[in-house]
Amino acid sequence: MPTSPEYMSTGFNAWDPSVFSLIVFALLAAGLVTALLTLSVVLTRRRGEGEKGRPYECGVIPSGSARPSYPAPFWLVAVFFLLFDVEAVYVVSWAVSFSRMTWAAWGQITFFIGVLLLGLFWVWRKGGLEWGMTRKR
Amino acid sequence: MNGDENAARALPDKAGLGDVILNWCQANSLWPLFFGLSCCFVEQATVFTGLYDIARFGAEVLRGSPRQADLLVVSGTVFKKAAPMVKRVYEQMPRPKWVISMGSCANTGGMYDVYSVVQGVDQIIPVDVYVTGCPPRPEALLHGLITLQDMIRQKSRPLRPVLNLDGGHLGGRDDILVPGVTKDRDTRGPGMAGIPARGTSVTPPVFAGSRSDEMWTPPAPKLSFTPAHDALREALAARFGEPSAWHETVVDMPTVTVPAQRLVEVLDFLKHEAPIRFERLEDITAVDETARKVRPEHDFTAIYTLTSLSSVEYLRVRVPVGADLELPSATPVWPSANWYECEIWDLFGIRFTGHPGLRRLIMPEEWQGHPLRKGDPQRATEMAPYLAEDARREQPEDAVRLLEKAHAAPPARREFVLNIGPHHYSTHGLVRFILELYGEEIVDMTTDIGYHHRGVEKIAEHQSWHQFIPYTDRLDYLSGAANNLTYLLAVEKLCGVAVPQRAQCVRVMLAEFYRLSNHLLWLGTMVQDLGMITPVFHTFREREQILDIMEAITGARLHPAWLRIGGLAMDLPDGWDKLVRDFVTIFPKRVAGYRRMITGNPIVRARVKGIGRLSLENAVDHGISGANLRACGSTRDLRKVAPYSGYEQYDFDIPTRDGGDCLARFEVRFEEMVQSNRIIAQCLEWMPSGRFMADDYRYCIPDKRDTLRDIESLIHHFINATRGPKVPAGEAYAATEAPRGEQGFYVVSDGGNMPYRLHMRSPGYASVQALPLMTIGHTIADFIAIMGSLDYIAPDLDR
Repeated sequence: MPTSPEYMSTGFNAWDPSVFSLIVFALLAAGLVTALLTLSVVLTRRRGEGEKGRPYECGVIPSGSARPSYPAPFWLVAVFFLLFDVEAVYVVSWAVSFSRMTWAAWGQITFFIGVLLLGLFWVWRKGGLEWGMTRKR
Repeated sequence: MNGDENAARALPDKAGLGDVILNWCQANSLWPLFFGLSCCFVEQATVFTGLYDIARFGAEVLRGSPRQADLLVVSGTVFKKAAPMVKRVYEQMPRPKWVISMGSCANTGGMYDVYSVVQGVDQIIPVDVYVTGCPPRPEALLHGLITLQDMIRQKSRPLRPVLNLDGGHLGGRDDILVPGVTKDRDTRGPGMAGIPARGTSVTPPVFAGSRSDEMWTPPAPKLSFTPAHDALREALAARFGEPSAWHETVVDMPTVTVPAQRLVEVLDFLKHEAPIRFERLEDITAVDETARKVRPEHDFTAIYTLTSLSSVEYLRVRVPVGADLELPSATPVWPSANWYECEIWDLFGIRFTGHPGLRRLIMPEEWQGHPLRKGDPQRATEMAPYLAEDARREQPEDAVRLLEKAHAAPPARREFVLNIGPHHYSTHGLVRFILELYGEEIVDMTTDIGYHHRGVEKIAEHQSWHQFIPYTDRLDYLSGAANNLTYLLAVEKLCGVAVPQRAQCVRVMLAEFYRLSNHLLWLGTMVQDLGMITPVFHTFREREQILDIMEAITGARLHPAWLRIGGLAMDLPDGWDKLVRDFVTIFPKRVAGYRRMITGNPIVRARVKGIGRLSLENAVDHGISGANLRACGSTRDLRKVAPYSGYEQYDFDIPTRDGGDCLARFEVRFEEMVQSNRIIAQCLEWMPSGRFMADDYRYCIPDKRDTLRDIESLIHHFINATRGPKVPAGEAYAATEAPRGEQGFYVVSDGGNMPYRLHMRSPGYASVQALPLMTIGHTIADFIAIMGSLDYIAPDLDR
């Protein structure tokens, strides 16, 4: 009898208690959310009160567009952070598996990190990381 | 208690279990709105702190937005300019919603029955519970909350409206009161409806002439000119010749009359070339001359008060206004003239040629007339009642239009426009800042004030000199007796009253206690604005300790109105020294604790360091004073450079910083607290014995013990307490180093028992006007830090 790998012997069983309880939990959560939403739709009195539909702006009538104009450095910095945060995942995995890596794999991943690094320098040079205010006028 | 007649009074006997549970839930989870109108609001905020702990009464932490709240506490005066905002905030709350009307101002207009005030918030929104007092103690608000909870628990069948069934009542009133029908608007009080008001066929329109006219008073004291004054006079005469007329009899400062055509030239000369340089424009105001006993030819006079920082001198420039009601603008000489001139246009109707954007600054845009003219109505009860329809119609101006008005030339394109205020968590009162944003950056801003204009200057014209003292308390509601002092110094200057040593020492002690009280509240709220919640609970602890001492001495917490012309209302009570000693020994340790807690915090430092920089030159040009000026490197403190009330006898230092940024303003105030504590400790050790009231009773309210002994004192008591003393004709200006900066009172008497004109120079007005200098180029988050570091307050701004 050939010995099967360890993972084959335990096998994947959909009725394993841990998965079963997860499904029950998910159903309960979905049910609760549905019940709460349904109750609030059924119970809430929807009255047409004009003032309540208006955005709250410190007690005065809002004016102008609600769309902020383009440069939102806060948003940009957040995007760059996410972008280079993903790079960290590769750098870490590259580091822990360094001894088992072939030269080809090493070259590929180094090229990838190098490209990202160039991107970082480019963003840096363009002032994307300047969390300061730029003079407009 | 006055809920819906049928629903509120009925016991929930028809209520089922679901109703009882619903009532219980609603009564025990009230979410009040953080809604700041005026003095009462400080007491409302106090119930939120550890000592009172609003959460014990089912009301959780105060909410910042109407969307999150079910309880609106209207705390303080509702103004015609702010009323549309109050109504909107109420309507944006979800149902059920309850309203507590807190303080006599919110209930009826209170002591502020003046043109700008709404006679009770119940005319525009429905009110469930009234909390009385001016301001009510925090305990009174807590009692109001308990009363409201009882009302909610008695709601009959609240579940029915929830389930969309007929009948039942969920809570909150729907009706507003109608003046003359369900609400009494008669200033004489309820029950006077049958008696005709003054001015009808039955009674004469005005009271018979005041008997003050028959009294004699000595003339006001005369200022003796110094050689420096003479040099200035010669220089002015050499340069401008006859047109500049020098007044020979003045009370407080050299005064010169200048014709309107040469005004700007003269001001420029005084600022840049005169032998005494007047670097700062202290104030501009106007006087309507049409009702004077001795009437000049012109109808209005504009009064420019100039300050010399280099030689501690003041100069008054009087400019008669011609029949065309037009003056040249002083904005080319001092940029800070901008708002002063707007205010004069708004309140008097005098136009300024060459002004970059003359607009109504204080009154709403639709306002008819110019309220500080003698002919305009004084009381709100002389005008039509302000009702819900008015609040709907008279909306605050559009933000974009206000931005356009603030500048002579509009920019090519408007970016994102954001209102911060009038109702905002961190505006420290009702003020509206309009920011124009490019991304996160503030590229332009303007300020709209007047949401807190109580018209006290008009009120003063109809009160005796004594009766006005309680109003001064409320002008800067965090500084209590410190405001009394400034007003009284001006009046005492005009009357030539010498205040006894003991009274002066007590005045100094009270003023310093209120400085501490103000700075503690400022410290707590400023770091709270920055997101650090803990310190506010701690600073209110010492603040309550101070208010307890104030209460033991004066009988009141926020507004003691305890100083009098010539002295104090009473002597110090027994045991005052123990209370004060306990305080001065522990306070330095507490300040050191705050220093560790706040300035040791790297995040707070990063939020304030290098933010909102202001150069000394700009600060002087814009009339900034107090701690804000000292943070720019100036050492000017009136307590040192022009001591009053015996400040020269105390040993204390003036902390200064060079940075001119938020951190510098922060540190200066921090150290000022330690210095104030030193002064109080010296008052405690030194407190002289003797009288607490001047013994010349011509202008003072005599010591009660004297009135029981001799008839002269009794007569003076009677006259001065009823129609008030006759103050000699003349004008005087006095300024003190109030907690927020240099606060000044300009009083004009035409020899009657009431001020002919009174004007207050408020330190916040200058600081807030200079906000664009500090904020443009910073982010929104920095803006909140800058606002907090300036330490202004709305009633002091709007008066």
